[in-house]
Amino acid sequence: MNKSGYALLQDVIMDPAFPDLDVALRRGRHVDRDDTDWYALLLDAQELLEEFYRRYGCELIHKTDGYFYLLPTGDKVSRKQLGGTDMLVGQALALLYLDPSTIERGGAVTHEELVAQLSTVLGTDTLVAAFNPSKRKRFDERIAQRNVRQRVAEAVRRLASMGFVDLPEADRVRLRSSLMRFAEPVRGLSEPAEALAKLVAQGEVALAPLEKEEGDDIGLDAPDAPDDSAPAEPDIEAPEEEADEAEEPA
Amino acid sequence: MALPARSNEQILRLIAQQQVSLQLSTLELGFLVALHLQTQGRGLTSFNEAQLEDTFIEASLLLMPEADQRKRRATHAIKRLREQRLLARVDGQGVTRAGEFTLSRLALGIVEFYLEDGVLTRESLLLLTSSLRGALEQVRDAARDSPDAERWQTAVVGPLRVTIAELVDGIERRQRGLDLQQEDFRSEIRRLLEEDWFAALTRCQALLDATSATLQELNHVLLRDSTHLLALLQDIEEHAIAAGQPEAEAAARRLMDQVDRIAAWGAARQRAFSDYFQYVHRYLRDVVRLDPSRALTQRLRDQLAGRGARFALTHSAAGPLQMLRTVVSVPDKPKVVRPRAPREKPLAPDEGEDREAILTERVQGALEQGARALSSVTALVTEALPAPERFVEAGRVAHKAAQLARAQSEIDRAWVAAGDGLVIEEWSLDPGDSSE
Repeated sequence: MNKSGYALLQDVIMDPAFPDLDVALRRGRHVDRDDTDWYALLLDAQELLEEFYRRYGCELIHKTDGYFYLLPTGDKVSRKQLGGTDMLVGQALALLYLDPSTIERGGAVTHEELVAQLSTVLGTDTLVAAFNPSKRKRFDERIAQRNVRQRVAEAVRRLASMGFVDLPEADRVRLRSSLMRFAEPVRGLSEPAEALAKLVAQGEVALAPLEKEEGDDIGLDAPDAPDDSAPAEPDIEAPEEEADEAEEPA
Repeated sequence: MALPARSNEQILRLIAQQQVSLQLSTLELGFLVALHLQTQGRGLTSFNEAQLEDTFIEASLLLMPEADQRKRRATHAIKRLREQRLLARVDGQGVTRAGEFTLSRLALGIVEFYLEDGVLTRESLLLLTSSLRGALEQVRDAARDSPDAERWQTAVVGPLRVTIAELVDGIERRQRGLDLQQEDFRSEIRRLLEEDWFAALTRCQALLDATSATLQELNHVLLRDSTHLLALLQDIEEHAIAAGQPEAEAAARRLMDQVDRIAAWGAARQRAFSDYFQYVHRYLRDVVRLDPSRALTQRLRDQLAGRGARFALTHSAAGPLQMLRTVVSVPDKPKVVRPRAPREKPLAPDEGEDREAILTERVQGALEQGARALSSVTALVTEALPAPERFVEAGRVAHKAAQLARAQSEIDRAWVAAGDGLVIEEWSLDPGDSSE
């Protein structure tokens, strides 16, 4: 028996919490200390589960910030990269996570604060262009800004489904430690480019395509899915229907 | 507010009707605080007009050193405070002599709020709960031994409504004070980190630990003492029910609700603080300690702004599990069509009625009944027929009668009535030898 109390892999698999945890990990969920039962199970059975998932061509990663996730390195389990807007929103949330002002509210921010953070760092024009991936450059300012808010909210929901944030109530986003994954390339003492190359080699991240959309300061590597719920506006073109995330073949 | 019988809507309407409003400058607030401090320091119960003016001038010298016309300002401030019912005249002498004034209950509430002497501490809580316990024990004894309604009013209902309610209110008021202090505490942690970052680590840690200990102690005292208080109140309620004293019963129940609320407050605050405590500890450990120079924020900001290569995080994306189900072969359902009937019905033999035989039978019957004239035979056979058919039938009757009987007629045959509306030429009939 190992130190955790799980003698065999069978014991781990027979744990009532395992099926849900396994499905969540395989679907890209990040598990941290707030997921009390799952986190405890992963900690207790870490050695056994690392070996277990390796057989599926996956690495069970445990970061010192206190979260786990599954990283496919082979071709048995399919993998994806986060979309461009998800990456922007994720990095902005990570910045907010580092900001002391958020600890006053126990690590909770509003959508408004998130958009304000993005606007401060990117600038309003770049932000609007990044979240309105249109070939035409004629934007109705009001519609374009509303699109930004909608797309940010959609990205937050996607990130919540992956365990980067919690959505305890409407317009309240609770930041989780797994957001620090967005800061990985700039965390170490080495140059960001060097750290990024290392992460690419480990399969943790993928570099975005080099081509940029015309006039965009920040091109999107994988534009977001269109918003079906948005009412049709006659004075602006509809967002292009493209895939949300770049999926690699399994 | 002592308006228990009124609904919320009525209370709000009353406030709107009275156009209640408060408008206080910093100087006026300072003036109220100065009056309160003088009341406590010198043991004054009221102020005359000169004392009010002097106190205002002292306060204004500190708060607005550059101001002029202080006496005039004092008159104006006193008038405004009187209008807002913050200063109350207590001598009741009107114009006959200069007035005596004191701070109203409203003014005292405001001053106490700003002086922050109402924060719940372990000491104040212990003092309040032990006083409460002693008072409740006396009330319980009185409830047990009270012989009549008057004694119940003075020894049970009165203390429950006033003395004990005041003590419980005191705890609740201090709890609200502590809530405010908690908000300030969170702001303080943020301010320390924003200003000093890594250097603030130890102070933040100490603040967290101290607050955590305070809340733990308070919660412990609340949990322990609320159980005793509730047990005492329950005893009083039972005595009131047994003695048929609904007022005392209601007062005890109201206090039990209040004590429950006080205990729940302690647990809720400790739970909320526990989450906050964990979050801040994690933040201090994972963010502040690992990034003492706060370089990570700047580097992440640069990364988000688009400096450097763009990248995307890789994650596992296994599809949902395929749940196979048992396949049951479903037979082909016939096409839904309208049922079709044969276009033409098949021919079927129809015997029908032999009208000739019927006529023969009827004419024969008429002859057998003794009819010897064609008119009487016709009348008998056609009487059941409708009028339009009689004429046609009359011809057939004549033909049949001629077959069944020997018919004779005059050369000049007479026209006679044969039933209703029919006139025919008369024959005589002789059934005896019809074959001729």
